[in-house]
Amino acid sequence: MGYVAVKGGTSAIEESIKRLRYERLKGKQVIDVEVIKHSMRGLIDQIMSEGSLYSRDLAALAIKQAEGNPEEATFLIRAYRSTLPRKYYSKVVETEWMRVERRISAAFKDIPGGQILGATYDYTHRLLDFSLYEEKIEEIKEWVEEFEKSLETDCEEISSQLPKVIDLLRREGFIDQVKRDDSEPEDVTRKSIEFPTTRSERLQILTRGETGALTALGYASIRGYGTLHPTVGELRVGKLPIYIDYPLENSDTDEDSIYIGEIQVTEVESLIPDVKEADNENGNKEIQFSIGYGICYGQNETKAIAMSILDNCLEKSHIDSPVHNEEFVLMHVDCIEATGFISHLKLPHYVTFQSKLDSARKIKKENKRDEKL
Amino acid sequence: MKRKRRTTILVKGNWKIAKSLADEIISKYKVQVIQEPNSGLVMVKMRETSQKKLFYLGEVLVTECKVQIDDILGVGIIQDDNPEMAYYLAVIDASYNTGLEETKEWETVLLREEKLIKDREKKEAASILKTKVNFETMDV
Repeated sequence: MGYVAVKGGTSAIEESIKRLRYERLKGKQVIDVEVIKHSMRGLIDQIMSEGSLYSRDLAALAIKQAEGNPEEATFLIRAYRSTLPRKYYSKVVETEWMRVERRISAAFKDIPGGQILGATYDYTHRLLDFSLYEEKIEEIKEWVEEFEKSLETDCEEISSQLPKVIDLLRREGFIDQVKRDDSEPEDVTRKSIEFPTTRSERLQILTRGETGALTALGYASIRGYGTLHPTVGELRVGKLPIYIDYPLENSDTDEDSIYIGEIQVTEVESLIPDVKEADNENGNKEIQFSIGYGICYGQNETKAIAMSILDNCLEKSHIDSPVHNEEFVLMHVDCIEATGFISHLKLPHYVTFQSKLDSARKIKKENKRDEKL
Repeated sequence: MKRKRRTTILVKGNWKIAKSLADEIISKYKVQVIQEPNSGLVMVKMRETSQKKLFYLGEVLVTECKVQIDDILGVGIIQDDNPEMAYYLAVIDASYNTGLEETKEWETVLLREEKLIKDREKKEAASILKTKVNFETMDV
């Protein structure tokens, strides 16, 4: 059977796109982008993180266009991002500058600065709130006003720089002391990765990875496909200022930089116990801790924790398990790559499938002939 | 006042201040737009705290504008799609670069706004402490 080249479908495609628009509009309701921006914080954070582009406005627009479908919204953001010039690189951002909105530790009850819960779903009952059907804008305004008034009390002043839990353990010698390394990082958006990867490549891929993929692999690691059982040493949510060097002069003094705004991130340092041979004469074994690092745009704590687990897994690539295998993890967590490949299966494969079918028919025919002999 | 402090105040503070400072210059001098406000990206370089190495976190959408006053350039760069603010920041930057007399008067305005920003951030930080846990030891 020969192959037949075909064309067509233009009109069907045009009608399909109209149909898609109809599906979004047939309810005759319009959701304002501003409404999405101010009421879908969780989804916006996820789209910014997976899209690897910090803009609440664009994320809200993408959510509207994609009818709330996260993979489609992320695709739109990544596609738009690819049309924009990269003008500058920020000055190195240190998370110690974070304006903290939430900060907890699962490792220590008493930490300097205290456990600050901030805004979290952790202590809510997961019961549907049917009263939200009747939510009124006047009632909301009143509640917000009262809440903000209640905050205007004399409260103790928060320290601008809360000490890190891991630094306490470093001082006690339970975590290796390390010096700052200012080596230029690799950029996976500019150069395809080669294995083995560098730490900067791993962290960049993980932070823009798909939330569900990271969570699944992080969970698999703890369930038995990895060697880890981490403890969240510290989880922080807060805002980081972004500065760039002044572009019009060759001035790299810090005071000459430009402030462009701030971004909200979630940062996690997980503690993983490692048994190590001591350096002392009797060679006794000691337990030390290594740190798994996770960070992502917005408030997405599950993703940041999962990232910290996978970061530590990939630092121990000698362990024979899928989650310790950098190719297995890094090549499969990107939303666009994974959903793009899976969804391409819907597209016409007429030629390749016909070829397979031809082979199958031929073999079947040959088998029948052999049976007759 | 150095640029870092100045741009932090202008961006974090009430944007009407940037507008009024820029308007003052626009009404007195010839401001030539060299680059219309346009969108672009800033890649965020950051340091992780485990091994203290650098990596790229992702990009941030920005708007950039360039203007010229008396042949001296100024640039305004701000997060997200904010063309007007990028223009005002560029005019203010060019005014400082040109050494215009008016900039000397701006110090007071900027310092006043800086105090308001600090007060606001202090209040925000203090209000978060309402969610600070006070552990009580239980008798068992």
